[in-house]
Amino acid sequence: MNLRIAARFLVELLLAACAGCALASAAADLLAPEQAFRFSATLIEPGLVEVRYRIADGYYMYRDKFRFAAIPQSAGLGEARFPPGRITDDEFFGRVETYRGELVIRLPVKRAGGFTLKVVSQGCADVGVCYIPVTETARLVPARMSGEAVRSEGDAPKLLLRLQDAAPSR
Amino acid sequence: MKNTGQIALLVLAAVSALAAGFWLHPWNSGGVPESGDVAQLMAASLPDVEGRSQALAQWQGKVMVVNFWATWCQPCLEEIPEFVRMQKKFGSQGLQFVGIAIDHPAKVREFAAKHHMNYPVLIGEMEAIELARVSGNELGGLPFTVILDRKGQLIGTELGGLNERKLATIIRSAI
Repeated sequence: MNLRIAARFLVELLLAACAGCALASAAADLLAPEQAFRFSATLIEPGLVEVRYRIADGYYMYRDKFRFAAIPQSAGLGEARFPPGRITDDEFFGRVETYRGELVIRLPVKRAGGFTLKVVSQGCADVGVCYIPVTETARLVPARMSGEAVRSEGDAPKLLLRLQDAAPSR
Repeated sequence: MKNTGQIALLVLAAVSALAAGFWLHPWNSGGVPESGDVAQLMAASLPDVEGRSQALAQWQGKVMVVNFWATWCQPCLEEIPEFVRMQKKFGSQGLQFVGIAIDHPAKVREFAAKHHMNYPVLIGEMEAIELARVSGNELGGLPFTVILDRKGQLIGTELGGLNERKLATIIRSAI
């Protein structure tokens, strides 16, 4: 008897709790940017860097927000080669190109020795949240032919101004 | 005896369910920060679009809706026309929107004029990002909105878009 009352009490509480779940914003389940946009960079052959982003389902990145820099600058980065993205007409931004899923960007480089690559990127989630720009850092060494990706979010705000300066005006 | 054990188990499950319900409470999708963190927001001063320093504390005594946004953030822009309407509708009842743009002053000025923003907009970069973080925005996502009552106490945070219905529910008891 008591057990039945307790069980009914439990069901009611669960229903009350679930009203909370149903109303909870989808933004509560958001991934951290480093999980939403998984970065790696590799020197695939002398003079050619491959930057790869594995973009989680429900997230996308903007082509015109990417910025690349080499340290030292004398490493001589060439122009990044992007695959064709999805082009949409945005109410506020006009024509924008975005990427989902796997994104591979190729980046020519003149330097034969090792150097540090910095990549600024910016993306959003379909639930209606955009992340502040993030800077990724990778040390690229030809001998090992592999990049050690080191995330350095602390750099993002510093690079934000430059990113905004370079953003196309609407 | 067996029943007592089962009841205890049920009560435990019920308490967990309740806790989950509170944890998933809709107006705290950005997580509830400590009150001290909101104090940091209320103690902050940031430049407005004309470059004049503005203290957040000047609006204390009103129900404040502090919205972190940027012109490069599309979901942020979508909700601003609704904020402009709400400021007009509820301003006389003591509702005060304050925008904090993580952006360039020129871009913010242009957008604010074009969209007839009728509430103050402050500008910040690292400091604004940090204020959003200590106010409960761990992921660095935008838009992010912090709602404070007339005493400057936190009554809600929202990561992602807010509409009038959702916001009206949060401010109902404070206004």
